[in-house]
Amino acid sequence: MVKESILSERSAWKALAPWLAVFVLLLLAPRFLPRFQVYLTGLILTTGLLAVSLNLVLGLGGMYQFHHAVFYGIGAYTVALVITKTALSPWIGFLLAPVVSALFSLAIGLICVRLSKLYFGMLQISLGSLVWAVVFRWYSFTGGDDGIHGISVPGIISSTDGAYYFSLILTAICLIVMQRIVNSPFGRSFQAVRDNPVRSEAVGINVKRVQLTGMVISGAFAGIAGSMFVVIEGSVFPELMFWTLSLEIIIMCLLGGWFTFLGPMLGAAIIVLLRTVVGIYTEYWTIVLGLVLMLLILFLPQGVLGYFLESYKRGGGKAVQEER
Amino acid sequence: MLLVENLQKSFDGFMAVSDARLEVEKGEVVAVIGPNGAGKTTLFNLITGQLRADGGRILFKGENIAGLSPYLICRKGIGRSFQVVNIFSRLTVFENVRVAVMSCNKRTFSLFSKAKETSVYETGEILKSLGLTEKADRISGSLSHGDQKVLEIAIALGNRPELLILDEPTAGMSPEETRDTLELMKLLSRERGITILFCEHDMELVFSIANRIMVMQRGRTIIQGEPDVVRNDTHVQEAYLGGADEGI
Amino acid sequence: MDFASNITISALFQQALVGLSRTTILFIVASGLSLILGVLRIPNVAHGSLYMIGAFIMYSVNHFFGGGQAGFWMAVLLSPVAVALISLAVERGLFQYLYEREHLMLLLFTFSITLVFGDLVKMVWGSDYRCVDLPAAFQGFFTILGFPFPRYNLFLIIIGPVVAFGLWFLTNKTRIGKIARAAAVDREMVGAIGINVSLVFAAVFVIGCFLAGLGGALVAPTQNIRQGMDHAIIIEAFLIVIMGGLGNIWGALLGALIFGLTDSIGILVWPQFAIVFPYVVVVIALLFCPKGLLKSTW
Repeated sequence: MVKESILSERSAWKALAPWLAVFVLLLLAPRFLPRFQVYLTGLILTTGLLAVSLNLVLGLGGMYQFHHAVFYGIGAYTVALVITKTALSPWIGFLLAPVVSALFSLAIGLICVRLSKLYFGMLQISLGSLVWAVVFRWYSFTGGDDGIHGISVPGIISSTDGAYYFSLILTAICLIVMQRIVNSPFGRSFQAVRDNPVRSEAVGINVKRVQLTGMVISGAFAGIAGSMFVVIEGSVFPELMFWTLSLEIIIMCLLGGWFTFLGPMLGAAIIVLLRTVVGIYTEYWTIVLGLVLMLLILFLPQGVLGYFLESYKRGGGKAVQEER
Repeated sequence: MLLVENLQKSFDGFMAVSDARLEVEKGEVVAVIGPNGAGKTTLFNLITGQLRADGGRILFKGENIAGLSPYLICRKGIGRSFQVVNIFSRLTVFENVRVAVMSCNKRTFSLFSKAKETSVYETGEILKSLGLTEKADRISGSLSHGDQKVLEIAIALGNRPELLILDEPTAGMSPEETRDTLELMKLLSRERGITILFCEHDMELVFSIANRIMVMQRGRTIIQGEPDVVRNDTHVQEAYLGGADEGI
Repeated sequence: MDFASNITISALFQQALVGLSRTTILFIVASGLSLILGVLRIPNVAHGSLYMIGAFIMYSVNHFFGGGQAGFWMAVLLSPVAVALISLAVERGLFQYLYEREHLMLLLFTFSITLVFGDLVKMVWGSDYRCVDLPAAFQGFFTILGFPFPRYNLFLIIIGPVVAFGLWFLTNKTRIGKIARAAAVDREMVGAIGINVSLVFAAVFVIGCFLAGLGGALVAPTQNIRQGMDHAIIIEAFLIVIMGGLGNIWGALLGALIFGLTDSIGILVWPQFAIVFPYVVVVIALLFCPKGLLKSTW
């Protein structure tokens, strides 16, 4: 038993090593990348964190979280409003972002969680759109459709490199915490609820409460991602919580593969890069995204990472099964 | 321990259970028998809360549990298995049972501890006692039907139930597997002192293990009594022989 | 804030009538969505795009015929048909191969269609606002109880019940309607008795999209036709369908009515956040009836 645990610890280090390498590489990135690419990497990390946080409920919990961007937007607006409308320290804004997002998650979750899967998703899209509509029209408070620009974040994180390091470190911490949650008893129970809610209920699990908890956690991380966006862009606007962005995040999860923890991060990277590259050549970015999505659904439903993992695993039992 | 009185349930006007009565004493093994469609599974679903009764009472240890959510009923000490295999088919066998054990140990909402180190011993013991240790790392959806039915019971045991409800535990099993399950039920009853309530079509099995038998027909309880009494009851013979069109 | 200061009986009455004509549009769009949702179990996000395309085609056809009476009627008739044909192509070309997939995949697929259509509309019609002029017969006002009321809005109010009745007739009294309802409940069973379920689905999908096109065509003269009108309507339609009860035509009508009225009355009460009122009503409705106000018919 003791020997086993040492072994597993060693293999854990082995598994961790590549990630450490990636982290160090990312730490050094500003030294050899031009400014725009540093900015882009920061944006990828932010969007990636958002996608991973969505996957917590979508992939792990099997819930149709159709309007995740709302919680992202709320996090971003919380920081922006604390900085521009109050005399509080900006850092308080960063602390408040996940809290406010979690509270909105709780409120929307309480209304939606009683409904069955598809209904849940549709109602969530609708309620999220209400939040968007209010933000969109409340000129005196949120800046309406213009949003808020020129938000001055604390000096240490205001430069491109500063913003990058802020998002990198925050992303790393969040990923570690989320990874921990995925592998916690709660994470396993959440998975069980996804697999079979009826049976979960029969073994004493309060299914609605598990789902609500999952939503709140995921919303909080989306809020953190939103606060990172403010640091990187220095502005917020209602598009951050428009429903099409939510579906775009779902595409990222699908693209990367939602049965893997970091798949959505990969998906986010692909989408953000694709948008940047396509944006150079044409204004018709959405048609490209649409066609990519179509091809993905038709030919690669388990995602890019999922596809490679599957071909890698082939022969050793089909662990990654398609959800019905 | 369990007392069911005048229980009723209808679906869109069809009375699935019209007047069910049942009594289970602590330590007993009680069987529910009856033709297909007699309302046995509906009765079990009413007891464990998957369905909500239209009328009647369900007393567990003197407390009315009718209308409670399934998870609350489970926490009061009633575990169950399902007739149609109802497991976490994408999780491993080990995780299937561990989920139940963690729930019982109130660890479901532990966010930052490691699931890998939670409830390992207990889960292992349950798997060992049911002979599933070797298959612990298999994805449960890939098991044979017989093994899945055993896993059903293993999950139910994860909640350390005082009353274990088994809905046709041997349905679809081979004769050997049926024999093993019978031995398992005896073991659970005698050595662990778990009270068992089950329904079953295999009359040989029913009469070889049950202390008391309850007979249902068309949603009603005809009789509940000792095996010999039930065997010689004219109503029961009528229900089974007279109702031949419904099959046994 | 001049909160509620401008509410008079006259304004209330007029807004109610405006709300009723809005109801017609919402109902026509939402009932199409509801039909597809009820039978195919797909929340068709592309429904909004088809509505937008319907409005743009209405503009082009009307323009082609030089406006006036002829242009208007040709456009109202042709644009839903054109939308239906587009949807038929999408369904037969792509969608029919995906019915076995998970709901989420189907939703995302309809979203991909939305993305593609959004840009195609931009390519064909550009990103300018377009307007459709009403023929003379529809211009001007009727006077109802002493209040002026736009003629076209009255026309819309009449169209609503007509479409509702037509749909009811289609789903309850015709063979295809009955088959569709049966297929909604049990796909395999209907397939087993020798009916081509795939074709039934195609028919339902096309009819639903036809309604989206009709809604777009009818709304065109009342507002600017522009990019993004697809995004707003689909959320409203979702909400109406959820409130009314899945797949229930009368539910969609009731939902549209509640939505249209609360929205238009809300504009009087609190112009800036009129949008909030329908949502509040929906949330309250769902707290009491989580499955919608009316029972889903299938």
